Amino acid sequence: MAKKKSPILKIFILFILIETALVFVSNGFNKELQVGFDEGKFVFRNIQSHYDLQDRITEEFQIDEHYRQTGETPVIYGSNKTYEFFKNIFGKVSAIGTFQLLRMLLIVDIMLLFLAFLIKKKLLKRPSQPQILFEMIYSTLEQFVIETLGKDKVNFTPYIVTLFLFIWVSNMVGMIPIPGFMEPTRNLNVPLGLGVFVVAIVHITAFKVKGAWGHLQNYLNPVKNPLFLLDIIGELSKVVSISFRLFGNVLGGAIIILVVSSLVSYVVFPVGLNLFFGMFVGTIQAFVFTMLALTYIGVEISE
Amino acid sequence: MDNITLAQGIVKAAALLGAGMCMGMGALGPGIGEGFVAGKACEGIARSPENASLITRTMLVGQAVSESTGIYSLVIALLLIFST
Repeated sequence: MAKKKSPILKIFILFILIETALVFVSNGFNKELQVGFDEGKFVFRNIQSHYDLQDRITEEFQIDEHYRQTGETPVIYGSNKTYEFFKNIFGKVSAIGTFQLLRMLLIVDIMLLFLAFLIKKKLLKRPSQPQILFEMIYSTLEQFVIETLGKDKVNFTPYIVTLFLFIWVSNMVGMIPIPGFMEPTRNLNVPLGLGVFVVAIVHITAFKVKGAWGHLQNYLNPVKNPLFLLDIIGELSKVVSISFRLFGNVLGGAIIILVVSSLVSYVVFPVGLNLFFGMFVGTIQAFVFTMLALTYIGVEISE
Repeated sequence: MDNITLAQGIVKAAALLGAGMCMGMGALGPGIGEGFVAGKACEGIARSPENASLITRTMLVGQAVSESTGIYSLVIALLLIFST
């Protein structure tokens, strides 16, 4: 037992080796490496990078603003036809940001679908390591659902597991060193959509359990609930609090990674920052989002 | 950034000062609150070590929730820096 390395240690060592190799392959500190697809071909080259911090931050976080200021044509990693399609729909200004966000969402969805098919294909009695991981996630979250909502509401488990896996993979996908990759949760629209969906599901469940008038009289009847206005504002602030927490954590982590690696770029390459902000904070925030959604549903049902 | 008037410079300086003050004051409350939660969790684990995983889970969720005011101030500071 003591001799065998745990899978987490293996992943850790692999991660550090890959990042170190990338630093040395990228030939010092004033150039960076690009791996990606350009015009249908696989590209692997050094590019000269510019170390003006303000420009880097604008390029990384406000990409539409960057292309409006510089007047360059946007660099698209992917299909040109799809980008033209988006440009026709959304107009010239916000095309590249929307294109990047939707492409990242699509990549995360394809990764999840691929994982699901891969694991479903070889379900074994003696499970393999990925199967153990996903069974562990599923059974842990199922246990939480049973503890919070009760045994008869166990059919909420697929929704909760989907929410957790989607946010988890979204927070981790920014660590892959391919240009154009970013966390989809870094854009406010994605957490806001998830939060609106959570609150909508809370109220649909309450309608089903308590009936239409039984639920609405909490918000409309001043005799039963004298503070009904505060409750309405509270429902709106649920959406804001649950979505801004995820968004602020991911965006703050990304900015700290960018600023610190730009400041120390002549001496070291900060490997541990991606581990902390990508893996640790990403996992914790995905877990917290899921737990809060579960708690909101539980509070509405139990009354 | 090279050709700005005095008024634009004053607005930019005030926004940067405000962002610094926002982060500094907004980090006070979550710092105190999270430290309090962690200390109470340590006491709980020392009293009943068999519940350590449950206490750690609850502590992490509680800390992440009480962190949210700090995250709001971070968002406001970023808005002040980047949108002026």
